[in-house]
Amino acid sequence: MKRLGIMVWFVLVLGAGLTTFTVKYAVQNVEDELNRVRKQTVAERQEIRVLNAEWTYLNQPERLAELNQRFLGLVPITAKQLQQSIADIPLRAPAPAPAPAPDVVVAASPEPAAPPPASQSAIAPVAYSPAAAAPPATTEPSTAPISLDALIAQAAATNPEPAAPPTAPPTAPPAAANQPAIAPVADGPVPAPAAAPISATPISATPISAAPISAAPVQLARAEPNTAPNSLDALIAQIAEAK
Amino acid sequence: MLSAQRLDENPCRPRHFRPPPCTPLVTDERQAIVLETCRSRLVLTAALFAVVFVVVALRLADVVLLSGINAESHAVRPGMTATPPLRADIIDRNGRLLATTLTSPSLYADPRQIIDARAAVRAITSVLPQLDPAEIYAKLTSGKSFVWIKRQLTPRQEYEINRLGIPGLQFRHEDRRVYPFGDLAAHAVGFCGIDNNGLAGIERALDTTLKASPGPIRLSLDVRVQFILHEELTKVVNDFSAKGAAGIVMNVRTGEIIGMVSLPDFDPNHPGRADPNLPPAEEKERTFNKITLGDYEMGSTFKIFNTAMALDAGTTSLTRTYDAIHPIHIGRFTITDYHGKHRMLSVPEIFMYSSNIGSARMALEAGAERQRAFLARLGLLKPEPVSFDKVSTPQFPNPWREVNVITIAYGHGISVSPLHVATAVSAIVNGGILRPPTLLALPPGTVPAGKRVISQKTSEEMRKLLRLVVEYGTARFANVPGYVVGGKTGTAEKNQNGRYELKKLMSDFVGVFPMQDPKYVVMTLVDEPHGTKASHGYATAGWTVVPATGRIIQRIAPILGVPPVDQTSPAIVQALAVRSLMGKKIEAY
Repeated sequence: MKRLGIMVWFVLVLGAGLTTFTVKYAVQNVEDELNRVRKQTVAERQEIRVLNAEWTYLNQPERLAELNQRFLGLVPITAKQLQQSIADIPLRAPAPAPAPAPDVVVAASPEPAAPPPASQSAIAPVAYSPAAAAPPATTEPSTAPISLDALIAQAAATNPEPAAPPTAPPTAPPAAANQPAIAPVADGPVPAPAAAPISATPISATPISAAPISAAPVQLARAEPNTAPNSLDALIAQIAEAK
Repeated sequence: MLSAQRLDENPCRPRHFRPPPCTPLVTDERQAIVLETCRSRLVLTAALFAVVFVVVALRLADVVLLSGINAESHAVRPGMTATPPLRADIIDRNGRLLATTLTSPSLYADPRQIIDARAAVRAITSVLPQLDPAEIYAKLTSGKSFVWIKRQLTPRQEYEINRLGIPGLQFRHEDRRVYPFGDLAAHAVGFCGIDNNGLAGIERALDTTLKASPGPIRLSLDVRVQFILHEELTKVVNDFSAKGAAGIVMNVRTGEIIGMVSLPDFDPNHPGRADPNLPPAEEKERTFNKITLGDYEMGSTFKIFNTAMALDAGTTSLTRTYDAIHPIHIGRFTITDYHGKHRMLSVPEIFMYSSNIGSARMALEAGAERQRAFLARLGLLKPEPVSFDKVSTPQFPNPWREVNVITIAYGHGISVSPLHVATAVSAIVNGGILRPPTLLALPPGTVPAGKRVISQKTSEEMRKLLRLVVEYGTARFANVPGYVVGGKTGTAEKNQNGRYELKKLMSDFVGVFPMQDPKYVVMTLVDEPHGTKASHGYATAGWTVVPATGRIIQRIAPILGVPPVDQTSPAIVQALAVRSLMGKKIEAY
């Protein structure tokens, strides 16, 4: 009887000890994991910051304007292209007459399908991928462009030819859909009618054939302005040298 | 009471031990009392301990079972990587990154740990070819415990160095401010010093906020507008070989600054190093924000305020006519018109043809006191109440004599900043409410409280007059179809050392659109433009900044969501018609 009691206590103590031991190690493991995840979060955050800066850098209006000039030839939208009321839109012709198509596209989107910057950003994906391919040695930081490139390649793959909507307006919406949503102008109960620049192109832009795009990589590699740093990396390097 | 029997009944007594029979205890009164005291003391102590243990147990239960584990207090422990708060980002109204803080590695070495300095130098220079091998070798063999090899590397270079696997090479991570848009918003955003303290612009004005803010600071600027402004102004500077130019786009209803450019400008990524060959004066010129810090005589642009003053005070009306035939002689001055019509002119005509004589007569009629009070009411006699930057203090005559009344009527003898003009014109066209300008984005839909400076009626009349100038007057190059632009030009000779220099002009233009319901004001000015063949040798506002402003409006209006209208539609013509000019053939300027 007494012996049994001792055994019970012994087992209890042993059990308690074992439990404490395992719990302690479990907690330690969890804490290690937590620490690791936290460190990773910090690293990821930092990477996001770098990528954000890089993305912004690549989206500099001057650069986009230059790329646009070279590959797309989009021109600023004019007042004539922005129709006011639904009555201004001509009805679709019963026969497959292609004439009023661009007007329809423009006029049909007074409610913006995408915010105004869509036009700017939309230029980037197509134009950037050859750019990144051409000068690989000098531009990218270790991790950033890999994912960025992948992203861009993806965007370009899903939307191979946003530059040629004259005959096929349906390609325009995906281009807009790829773009990040951007807060509307603070003043704005008035929707930005500039949403349409992509689809508006056909009216006044010079028609784009596939030729300049296929020739792109070679052109771009040489045409980068040599004074301006062509990536954030280069910019950082420049700053560092300055200091 | 202890007794032999009871002792004997003690169950814990060892069995082999039998207590010897002892004499019955003497029941001693004294001893009994002592024993009683002992017992009560024991009980008391036990009770105390019990209480303490209960408290401890309760607290344990409370901590473990009831309140649970406070995750936050557990989360941050010494040794864990707690992220230090970074200086907050600055973004534009659409969330584009204007300034951000990046952590970049800097490479240093502990030379005592370097085993083979020669091999290390070779390896390091293979990754960082711009370094001087001899210098690095000297550093690595110096025997110190800490030498910088290279500050602020890129992530890629850090990776490569790490891959070399040289013991003794270490990184220290430092924060650095990066401005991805470069010079695009240089003056508005400002820049930071090496220790990440703001030294100019928003960086300086909101230094403490930026250091503490968890989220980004949203500015009212729009990078796209900023770019267009920058591009067109650069074109003006180049075309007219001007010294500089500046432009501001402001929301007339909220006072938000949508774009602000001052040329020449600088790259905030390396301020003070725009060009090492530049003289310091030039360097200073680059960091000088003409919009907020410049004080300029605005010339005829001031006729906006002069006319609004006379109309609002009721000393004149749109139908009144004034003598613009005879020049005004006062003291040693003679006031004439630049392009005189030499006839009686009505108030709209005075404004449209920018008649100095007519404006002066209107001002004289209203009087010095009214004029001064009105300009003070518009905030043109004190620094703009802004929190985002250093601002200039306007210069105006004191005492305010009659001759000053005359010159101020057409914008001479008083110097204000372009920010003043944009703000005051916003108030004049928006229905008469003056609101302080701001560079911080307001939540959509909010309109800050303002104070009424002119009546709704005067504001509507002024809109018509501003439209006339663009339709028939000096600013016809800004007549962009669809956006019903209105505005007023001004060209002033620069006053240097008390003398007006004929050849040194300051041309400026205030444009407002759309005139039937003003939303934005665009103010541009160009410093010392020179006439070209294309402008027939003119360097006045009508040939320099007016066409540029027209192009700016044409490009920014779709971005800002201003829908184009048919300018010839009856509703708009009706809204902007000046009754006294109706039916007359208006001669062009």
